[in-house]
Amino acid sequence: MEIAFRQPKDVVVEVTGLQVRLGDTQVLKGVSLRVRKGSIVALIGPNGSGKTTLLRCLLGLQPVDSGSVRLFGKVPGPESFRRVGYVPQRLQVDRSFILTVREFLAIRLPATRGWFWRSTHFIDAQLKELVADLDVERLLDRPLAGLSGGQLQRVLICSSLLNKPELLLLDEPTAGVDTPGEKDFYELISTVHRRLGLTVVLVSHDLSMVYRHASWVYALNGVICCEGPPEDVMSADSLKQAYGIHMTPYQHHHHVH
Amino acid sequence: MSIEPFMQRALLAALVMGPLCGFMGVFVTARRMSFFSDTIAHAALAGVALGFWLGVKDPTLPMIIFSLAVALLILWLKERTDLLNDTIMALLLSGSVAFGMVVLSLLKGFRNELDRFLFGDIFSVGWGDVQVAMGVAVGVSYLLFRHLNALALLTAHEDLAHVSGIPVRRMNQLFVILLTVTVALSIRLLGIVLVTSLIVVPPATARNLAQSLRQQIILSLFLGLSGAVGGVALSYPLNLPGGPCITLTLIAFFIFSLLISKLIRPNRSSPCPL
Ligand SMILES: Nc1ncnc2c1ncn2[C@@H]1O[C@H](COP(=O)(O)OP(=O)(O)O)[C@@H](O)[C@H]1O
Ligand SMILES: [Mg+2]
Repeated sequence: MEIAFRQPKDVVVEVTGLQVRLGDTQVLKGVSLRVRKGSIVALIGPNGSGKTTLLRCLLGLQPVDSGSVRLFGKVPGPESFRRVGYVPQRLQVDRSFILTVREFLAIRLPATRGWFWRSTHFIDAQLKELVADLDVERLLDRPLAGLSGGQLQRVLICSSLLNKPELLLLDEPTAGVDTPGEKDFYELISTVHRRLGLTVVLVSHDLSMVYRHASWVYALNGVICCEGPPEDVMSADSLKQAYGIHMTPYQHHHHVH
Repeated sequence: MSIEPFMQRALLAALVMGPLCGFMGVFVTARRMSFFSDTIAHAALAGVALGFWLGVKDPTLPMIIFSLAVALLILWLKERTDLLNDTIMALLLSGSVAFGMVVLSLLKGFRNELDRFLFGDIFSVGWGDVQVAMGVAVGVSYLLFRHLNALALLTAHEDLAHVSGIPVRRMNQLFVILLTVTVALSIRLLGIVLVTSLIVVPPATARNLAQSLRQQIILSLFLGLSGAVGGVALSYPLNLPGGPCITLTLIAFFIFSLLISKLIRPNRSSPCPL
């Protein structure tokens, strides 16, 4: 009881005893974690360990069986979502929908709500800054549904930053992105993180990138198996605990083929 | 040359419902709800039959109410059961038609009415009907434009829409209600069997030519208008039924657009999968 009143101001995400059952599987079996303001937190764990489910709980996309979720100290709701940017895992846009990248971005930017009645010139002027940063300029006229995996991820990151979020939730943001693109991507996240003072929670399987960029790592497998700074968590023992099998731990100078 | 009053009313009704259906259809097709739209159109038959059974003169209201009930039932079953979407709809479509036919047979004397509702009867539209159509068209278009961003985002990705603060469930319900009212009112023009063509064909045609959602919406409004008005205008001098003429005009536009898109952008990857 006492704890509830002592919640520090700089905790952006607080999850306590979270349990979620999907069908016959108990996916989350009492997960607790905290994300501090300004940190880059990585969630790692094998496929099916509940990483996506956990992020969905934070956004009210997945009903919770028991436990609690707080965003910015409050129960998640439209108010707190306004402060969040989200890039879902494997977004698929129906090919029959012709929405262009420009339109998709304009819809989500407050200044261009009335895009339908505005000129392309006006919309582009509003979008200019972010679009240039993320190298999305060339894609503005393309239909969202016709982009490659990496292009779509860049557009989604761009769109998730439009409302100037304080918290960015990224679910396997580099799945489908080639290796050089992936490196650029993490550099980009670091830059954005530094410049905007964002808090980032990201799900990733790329342990070397996690090692390099995350400030805190949670290894999830139904429960949080271990947590800590990357150099502690990503040792052979704790990875084995998280993944249940032996994994080659991340080593310095180890080159991933 | 003067236009006879019944023709004036028919043209006005087409002028109003054509663009409205074209606009609506952009989201119906993009959200793969063509079959949904067809199902609620057929559900109207049961509404018509119930209306006659209850002794209602103008069955428009019972039609809307019954279609709406079926539409909301589909949404509810989709949420609450594991039944496949199109299984649910096929079941309700055939069920409503069968039910409507049985009731109409029992009532006797309504056999002639059946044709009017199945294939439309645009030349019997009264001034009152035209006024209702205009009011509804203005109201529905206003709501569609007002919620354009929410609908577009919802169509692109429901989870993103939710995180953007859009009340996804309420917005889906609103869309279904607007669609049902639009379909029910267009049945006078095209009939239950063909009404889906006015919802589906204009946006599909526009999709072949447009490069953006905005272009698709504008083109689809225009195509719905031209197809509906053109079909009515053709049907009278040729002494042909109005509904089928509208549908054939719309399909002629579609074929034309397909040819143009093949000629202009022969390597374009995805013409509209109609
Ligand atoms: N709708 C669902 N019904 C039943 N089980 C589901 C559903 N969605 C996901 N699951 C199961 O939940 C588990 C966790 O999924 P997920 O959170 O996507 O894992 P991760 O993102 O870590 O790979 C998986 O075992 C998956 O099979
Ligand atoms: Mg996942």
